Amino acid sequence: MNNAVVILSSDIVLSSILQRLIAGRQVICYKEEQPALDFIYHSLPRLLVVQIQDEQSRSVGIINDLKSDPVFGQIPIIAIVPDDLVISSWDRLLADDYLRRSAVERETALRVSLCLSRADRIVEISPLTRLPGNITISRQIQQRLDAGQTFALAYADLDYFKPFNDKYGFSRGDEVIKMVGRLILNLVREQQPQGSFVGHVGGDDFVFIVECDAVEATSTSILSYYSQIVPTFYDAEDRERGSIVSVDREGKQRSFPLMTLSIGIAHNRMRKFVHYGELVEIASDMKKHAKGKKGNAFSIDRRALVKKGDF
Amino acid sequence: MIDKNIRTIRAEIERIDTLPTIPTILKKLLGVIENPKASLTTIGNFVSNDPVLTSRVLRMVNSPVYGFPGRISSVNQSLILLGLNVVRGLLLGVSVFEAMQKAMLGLWEHSLGAAIAARVIAKRKKMNEPEEVSIAALLHDMGKVALSLKFPAEYEKLLSDVEARSLLIYEGEKELFEITHADAGAWVAKRWNFPPNLVEIIEYHHKPHLSKNYPMQTAVVHLADALIRARGFGFAGDMLVPHLNQAAWYSLDLKEQDLKDIMLELEDLLQEAAEFILSDE
Repeated sequence: MNNAVVILSSDIVLSSILQRLIAGRQVICYKEEQPALDFIYHSLPRLLVVQIQDEQSRSVGIINDLKSDPVFGQIPIIAIVPDDLVISSWDRLLADDYLRRSAVERETALRVSLCLSRADRIVEISPLTRLPGNITISRQIQQRLDAGQTFALAYADLDYFKPFNDKYGFSRGDEVIKMVGRLILNLVREQQPQGSFVGHVGGDDFVFIVECDAVEATSTSILSYYSQIVPTFYDAEDRERGSIVSVDREGKQRSFPLMTLSIGIAHNRMRKFVHYGELVEIASDMKKHAKGKKGNAFSIDRRALVKKGDF
Repeated sequence: MIDKNIRTIRAEIERIDTLPTIPTILKKLLGVIENPKASLTTIGNFVSNDPVLTSRVLRMVNSPVYGFPGRISSVNQSLILLGLNVVRGLLLGVSVFEAMQKAMLGLWEHSLGAAIAARVIAKRKKMNEPEEVSIAALLHDMGKVALSLKFPAEYEKLLSDVEARSLLIYEGEKELFEITHADAGAWVAKRWNFPPNLVEIIEYHHKPHLSKNYPMQTAVVHLADALIRARGFGFAGDMLVPHLNQAAWYSLDLKEQDLKDIMLELEDLLQEAAEFILSDE
């Protein structure tokens, strides 16, 4: 991801006005569509400001093509339109915002910053849990590492989710995922209202970030509420038996226990980390360790410091 | 008889979005949620003493918005899944009854008493989910709240008729509406996506032998209702104690000594409950 703002306009006067108004950012101006696209495809800029003459302009086609691609669709686009242009429907112009030509001088700076901050806020959200996904998760971890914060990263997932899904169908599986997401979010916020974070990696995997001192209490309360609530997602007879009959990965029928939750916890209290991936890997190892324990469990990284004096 | 058919009555009852509580509870509620230090646990303890607040919370958590309708029947679990901000906002929207204040206060005491009695019985019977049964008992008369909300004048007259003619309240309801508060309560509970056990217990708390899927839980609420009336705690709308259903009584398999123990255990708890509702702070 590049931090540049790309301006696409054949009007040199407009381009230079825009360049002046979007001060403090790297701004790259293009007069023609093709080189602009080349740059966008290769460097994924933060924002695109495109001038269009009417709904038939070639630049409208470019905006719509970018917006319908999952990778480039995330780039916010502001369309600059003539004062007298009638926009009949936003279905044919997939911009995120627009400015009339006469409002450029007055509004550009604020519109650009609003567009960028909105894009930061909504990034990618899991449609199921409405929690932020992997890009935000990585960014959240990396930002904390870069800022030198000490924190704990917890990685949670469900055991025996697949047989549950196979037996009851994916819509009931989705219900469980939504419940778990909601549960983790609220218990994390209850323990630490400020500065905490919850994300949904995908499937039945979640992460949360809290201060080191809060992570054990948070995990304990998540596991405790989880174990009370999850049986209500089973049919009465399975709930009473405490197990379900479903098929394993080899396609054989066997009995599975009720789903449990395992949480692996990594932290940078005793070791230094530079890259978010290192911390995620340890959390993931710890989660495997927690899965080895019976029932709902968490495991926390207690490996000694790499070098002395890191406390 | 009221000049409406059952379908119209049902449609009106199902249109209810929110039930009003009683003024004493509202006053205390504001104290609880406006306290910035209030945690979900303190709010939860408060909410689970009030049938209307409980129904409001259950309705929200079981709504399709959250994506797992009909699953949650515990107040504490609901609050955790909703989150503090949603809970505060939700509870701030509660309104109060203007009419029938004395009768309503009695009904609140009766509901809370039944919830306590149901929990004591369920624990003695070593049932899996004493909290669930207790919530069902707390809500068992929510149909009375619904009927008096939709038909206030008729219901007030019904209460005095029932007293003058020594009827049971559901007999009076049957005459007037052709349905009872048990039907009305179940309609609301179903409409609000409450878990199936709550719906069934509310529907059959006067006819526990008809409960197909939750006969034991329904029998416990049936017995709790009768015990609290017999004890003279609160006011369920009539002065009589209905006959205990024979089938339910036998299925519970309690001895006379069990009953005495239950009543004894209830005394202190009911004392506390009365203080909770009546104390003025």
